[in-house]
Order: sequence, then C-alpha cells, then structure tokens
Amino acid sequence: LKSKHAVHLNRKDNVAVAVEDIEAKDLVNIVLTDGSTQSIKALETIPFGFKIALTDIPAAGYIIKYGEIIGKATSDIELGAQVHVHNVEGVRAQIEEKKGE
Amino acid sequence: MIISFLGYPRPDGSVGIRNHVLVLPGGLISTKICEFVNGSHTIISADTGLLRTKRDREIVARTLVGIGKNPNVAGLILHDISAASGYPELKPETLAHRIAETGKSVEVITSNQYPNACKVIERGIRVARQMVCDASSMRRQLVDDSHLAIGVKCGRSDATSGIAGNPVMGYLVDNVVDAGGIALFGETTEIIGAEHLLAKRAISEQVGQEIIKAALETEEKAKSCGEDIRTINPMPANISGGISTLEEKSLGAIAKAGTSPIQGVLKYAQPPAGKGLYFVDSWPGSLSILLGFEAAGATLTLYQLGGGGFLGDTILFPSPSGVAPLFWTTANRNTFQLAGESIDFFSGTVIEGKETIEQCGEKLCRLVREVASGSMCKAETIKYQDPVEIYRLDHPF
Repeated sequence: LKSKHAVHLNRKDNVAVAVEDIEAKDLVNIVLTDGSTQSIKALETIPFGFKIALTDIPAAGYIIKYGEIIGKATSDIELGAQVHVHNVEGVRAQIEEKKGE
Repeated sequence: MIISFLGYPRPDGSVGIRNHVLVLPGGLISTKICEFVNGSHTIISADTGLLRTKRDREIVARTLVGIGKNPNVAGLILHDISAASGYPELKPETLAHRIAETGKSVEVITSNQYPNACKVIERGIRVARQMVCDASSMRRQLVDDSHLAIGVKCGRSDATSGIAGNPVMGYLVDNVVDAGGIALFGETTEIIGAEHLLAKRAISEQVGQEIIKAALETEEKAKSCGEDIRTINPMPANISGGISTLEEKSLGAIAKAGTSPIQGVLKYAQPPAGKGLYFVDSWPGSLSILLGFEAAGATLTLYQLGGGGFLGDTILFPSPSGVAPLFWTTANRNTFQLAGESIDFFSGTVIEGKETIEQCGEKLCRLVREVASGSMCKAETIKYQDPVEIYRLDHPF
C-alpha cells in the first residue's frame, strides 16, 4: 500500500486536504497541527485538493476547515471518506441565526 | 522608510510604476487615436452611464476620474463623443477638472469644435503624440515603499489557493501595509461566511459593522433575485477544484488580505483616505474589480489563480488591465505547468514543503519591487485587452 499525504490546516478541523491524488485504500499520513501524525485509510478516491474526513461526522454535523464552519453534513460521513458537495452543504443561514442569539 | 523601488513621481506626490498616456472614454475615437500613437492607451467599457440611475452614473464618473488620476497615468485626453447623452456628471469638462487636481496634463477635445469625427481623431493624434513625448522625458526615481499601492484578487480558486496561494499573497499585503503603502481587496460575495473574521480586524467597531453589513446586503440582494447565492458561487470551476461551499471559498479567499488591520470599507472606485489595508465593497468579476482597484489608486494589481476547472493558459483568461499591470500568481503545480509562460510567480512550493509561507512571501515581495521598478509582468507582453465592466448597483431604466 502506498502512503499519501494530506494537510490539517487548523487544530479544530475535522477534515484534511489531500496534497496529492489519493486512491481508495491508500494509507494517508496527516501531520496534525499539534505535531502528531494521524494515519487513516482512504475509503475512496480523494483527488488533489479535496477533503478527507478525519473523524466520523454524523448527518447535520458541522464540517470544520480553517478552524471555521464551512458547511454541514447532509449524510453520515465516515472517517476516511471524501467530503464534498455530495455530502456537504453550506450553513450560512444557521451561522446568522447563531450571531443573532 | 525603505527606499527600494524606481517610480515616476507625480505632481500630487503620488508615484506611478508605469507612464501611460490615456485617452478616455474608450470607443471609436479613442481606439483610433491609440492605434496611431505609440505609448497611448484606452480602456473600453460598455458602461457609459446611459439610462442609469444617478448613483450608477456617479460610479461611472468616479471610475473614469479615478483611472485618470491613477499615478500610472502621465497625461490624459478626454473627448466628449460618448457624453452626448448630456448627463452633467459625465461631462468631459467636469471629469477633466477633477482629474486636473492631480496637476497632471489633461486635455479635453470638444467635438463640436470640429466638422466631423475624423477631425476629432486627427486632433487627438496630435495631442497624444505630444503627450507621449512629454511623458517619455520623465525619469524614474528611487522612492520609498510607502508609495506601493496594490489591489489583490483571487480566482478559479481551488484548495491550493486557500493553503498557499492566498496566504503568500497575504504576506505581500502585510508587507506593503507595514511599509506604509496601500493594499486593497474586495469581492464582497466571497467574504460571506468569513466576514466575522474580517470584522475582528477592523480598526473600529464601526468599520467592523460596515464589513458585516456589506456581506449581508450582498446576500440579501442575491436573495431578492429569487436565487440562492450558493447556487451561483462557488462556481462549478471551484467545486471541481475541491471547494464545497461558499463559506469554504470565502475562508480561503480572505487569506489574501493578510493579517493587517482593516482601515475602512470603500465603495467601488473610491480612493482610500489614508494608507493601509482597505476592503472594497465590490463584485468579484475579473473584468470589474481590477478596474475598481485602479480607479481607487492601485498602481499594481495581482491575481492569485487556482486551477479548478482550469481551461489552459492564462492567456485565455480575462486580461482587463487598464492602467495598472496585472501580476499573476498560482500555487497549483498543474496550473503553473500549463500556463507558466503567462504566470509571474509560483507559490506551490509551500504545499510541496520546499518553502514556508514567509520564505515564498519574501520572494514575492522582492519581485513586486522589480515590477514596480519597470520589469514587465507577463500579461504586459501581450497586445490584447478585454473590455471592462464597471460595477453598478442599480437596475437600468
């Protein structure tokens, strides 16, 4: 099995960004922002620049990148799965509601 | 103050990095004058202010005045052919008067003093030739970095933009601001989801509220069209590059604005009142925002290119440079390999682990001084210019 790389941009993030094309079953090494390394198995293809889930993310759970909410899961996302428009949607309206609280 | 680039000092104390003779407004007359006279230049826009609200006509006027005042312009000819609509704010004399405040050479050619358009062109050629000669006798001088004035934009963004391209651009922005210069960024749609982070960087609570307001108004305006903005932006090109939501795009995009305090929110084509970093409430379209930066006084514009849905060479990308050179950067290795002939700077070394953002950013800062001193951007080597779109706020009637 080949070892691939993805980058973790902020300690709060539950996704990492592939910096090379990752194939299903590839072992992905992610250097976390605290310096430790997490190795996960890719469940599917993660093209260069796309996101991989670092934890199981339940449906309606937030996707965090750059330390901020970038959207919420539209279905359960498994650790190692690709995170993109097929399972994420923007949550802008909810962020506004939170601001109003 | 670090004295580090060679620029053209202007009578109003500003410093240009290019030395254009400009003929405005763009159209047949201007085009023919510029075809005949080396070193003269025009900008074509379909937006003449015709049948537009007063607010929009003022934007058109402000843009024309701003482009004329831009320190990269040594001298300017204004003709009145397209002012035949008669709106007072677009009268060439009015525009010329505002531009002449800079002390630069401005000449108005009034068409009714000539029997026909050919004679207007003939007069324009004579004036332009003399202006080009006069401009050529101006010499670059060593000036300090507080005279740098840049406008930054990102486009076709993908994950490489957020990880490296925009942070490296942000390093340059902080560098220019620290040196006492001016940096402008905008693209209001693409701060939605990240506006709270920008607001925290505002110099006052009021400026912070203006940033939030700009984002919310853009969102409301989109909704009033009956279309959720999220179906428009991120564009399919961004999605094919790995960006999933507008919030994700925005969070990557604001990295190009560095970390400096935000001094204020400007309207499109509005010059800043002072030095530092400003947010321009504007539309992200390439043909629009760069012109707005130039009209606000930016003498260099920079475009950070991603690569999602990439078409090929940037030579195919809009080339809307008006009076400021357009400098291309990318952090996408594939984009750089495809389009390297047209890209001025590659920051993908950060992703590849070969350089830090600081190391790569320092290289960009040095190169920007070279370009400010006269080294050509790749885009400047091409004899083509797209028409521009002046950003308007209202419906036409």
